[in-house]
Amino acid sequence: MLIIPAIDIINGECVRLTQGDYDRKEIYSKNPLSVARDFVLAGAKFLHIVDLDGARSGEPINQNLIIELCNFVDVPIQVGGGIREISTIKKYLNAGVSRVILGTKAVKYPDFLKEALSLFGCDKIVVALDVKDGKLMVDGWLNSAREDLDYCLLRLKAVRVKNLMVTDVTKDGTLEKPNVELMQYVRDFGFEVIAAGGITSEVDLRGLEKSSQAVVLGKALYEGRLDLKKILANLEPTSSLTKRIIPCLDVKDGRVVKGVNFLNLKDAGDPVELAKFYAVEGADELVFLDISASVEGRKTMISIVEKVAKEIFVPFTVGGGVGNLMDIRELLNAGADKVAINSAAVAMPELITEAAEQFGSQCIVVAVDVRLVGNKWKVFVKGGGEESEYEVLEWVKKVEKLGAGEILLTSMDRDGTRRGFDLELLKLVSTSVRIPVIASGGAGKMEDFRDAFQIGRADAALAASLFHFGDISIKKLKNFMNLSNISTRL
Amino acid sequence: MKTIAIIDYGAGNIKSVTNALTKLEQKFQVVKSAIEYERFEADFAKFSRVILPGVGAAKFAMNQLNTRGFTKILQNLTIPFFGVCLGMQLLAGYSEEGNIDCLGIVSGVVKKFRNFRKSKNFSLKVPQVGWNKVCIMRKSPLLEGITDKEYFYFVNSYFLPVNGENLLAKSCYGNDFSAVIQCGNFYGAQFHPERSGEIGLKLLNNFCTKC
Repeated sequence: MLIIPAIDIINGECVRLTQGDYDRKEIYSKNPLSVARDFVLAGAKFLHIVDLDGARSGEPINQNLIIELCNFVDVPIQVGGGIREISTIKKYLNAGVSRVILGTKAVKYPDFLKEALSLFGCDKIVVALDVKDGKLMVDGWLNSAREDLDYCLLRLKAVRVKNLMVTDVTKDGTLEKPNVELMQYVRDFGFEVIAAGGITSEVDLRGLEKSSQAVVLGKALYEGRLDLKKILANLEPTSSLTKRIIPCLDVKDGRVVKGVNFLNLKDAGDPVELAKFYAVEGADELVFLDISASVEGRKTMISIVEKVAKEIFVPFTVGGGVGNLMDIRELLNAGADKVAINSAAVAMPELITEAAEQFGSQCIVVAVDVRLVGNKWKVFVKGGGEESEYEVLEWVKKVEKLGAGEILLTSMDRDGTRRGFDLELLKLVSTSVRIPVIASGGAGKMEDFRDAFQIGRADAALAASLFHFGDISIKKLKNFMNLSNISTRL
Repeated sequence: MKTIAIIDYGAGNIKSVTNALTKLEQKFQVVKSAIEYERFEADFAKFSRVILPGVGAAKFAMNQLNTRGFTKILQNLTIPFFGVCLGMQLLAGYSEEGNIDCLGIVSGVVKKFRNFRKSKNFSLKVPQVGWNKVCIMRKSPLLEGITDKEYFYFVNSYFLPVNGENLLAKSCYGNDFSAVIQCGNFYGAQFHPERSGEIGLKLLNNFCTKC
């Protein structure tokens, strides 16, 4: 929901009226420009400017000031009040105003509205409806309209009006509760609703979230009942995406194994059964790595991929021995959601680009195995057996540029040690690329995962033996995450 | 049982959708071109529904739909249609992914997520990968039995902005975006129901049996 602070102007000054009554006027500032600047500094992404002199007289009295204001701030603004001519709309839009608000004129003169919509498009025009006790009001809320509300909404719908600003005039400036039912009612006609009137608390704002695309805030901000910065932080969408917990199944000869530092293989079960178990446990994704594939040049087991794809309905990535576009296609066709490329990407970086172009970068994961050599983090290939020419930052930035969708970052130094993820390496990589990074190698306890997200800035964290041998259950781990303020899917 | 057509335009993971339909015991036929689609209808029976699974890039997909003759068929469908992920985005008029005209069934332009940095400690990666909360905005047979704020699995760099008219559910990643849409007989989900566990299968089953 977009929060739009309002600046109402009378005689060049920033004012608020109560219930649209020009006799009940309060001057908040003599300088609307500084008010606008303060709103923007607090984080406003859109401003609502009303020429109240214009609304009363039918002429754009404060137009020059509003255009000055529009040039002064670098956020989009919408302007209302006294816009009764096509030429006025044109002047505002040409000056950089994002959309104009038509009130009385749009309600009283349908042809004018139609012309404005056809000339400027529905994104540039907002129709303001002022409603009092279910009745439509016009002329600065002084008179009720001839048309009833339903009829008007249907008519506006028919001419393809998209944005409606709805004000319950009995609430406006009164700091009473907003009229949620009215907003919902209008929205159900298929409009995008900008709600105004009576909004004074975060609870009010949350109540409007379902019905309203945006809200205009006036008095509550001026009187300090709502702190713009705070409500923007609390309400403006950031992301509701959760962090991912990923069990990794290292597969050799059809069995899940996990070695310590890639040696000393132990048998930890049937991949299909284990995958099913993890899906039920709440694993967000699975990764299958054919760990012997790069070393021995063997292809990943397509039949296992096919079996897994039939049994589980959470995403999984397959890696190991992926050498060319054919391999990728084969794995995707077998039911894999993503494919991890490692050695082949280092040998032929253009493979990343070709694969991303053909299958979409979201299914191309580049696996990066890193070991500290001297004081440099070097990228290793062939299952960790061969040092490449790349240092880690140089390589991850390159793969991002080439079109990789994700990076699976394994610290070989930590792998199998259970000493925790290499947070320094993780943070370095995670904050240097703009694609998701999966942390791998070294998880030993629940706090390690928390640190991978909070300190290492990882987007997902992966572990193998820890899960396979039941040392940590995924369910428990996710509960722990949520208690640590890291949102996961429960 | 009537047959669901699965549109295969050669970009990849048809398998995850067909696996899910098999699990749901639905009859389906994968069709690779308009000719195959029409031949099936002539030889056997009319399709009851159409699913367009979406993997890959918009430009490649649209070019393939055009080359394979699907565009007209899809635009003129009167039976229930379900577009998944890119398959949903292709319903829009235009996509900024490769700057290409799409099917034009719903209004709106598909846009790319911005790498969004709110503070030193908070930034958003693109693509969005993972389970995101889906807020239901309107009732629909497609969402029957699905509670508000469930998690579904998303993988996308591009999104369809929220559109009042067609929006059934939204989600948030830097900005609000369309998670589920409906325009008449055309349905779409930005997430992958076939990859969203039990709840995803439920939604897919709703499409197959209730839409």
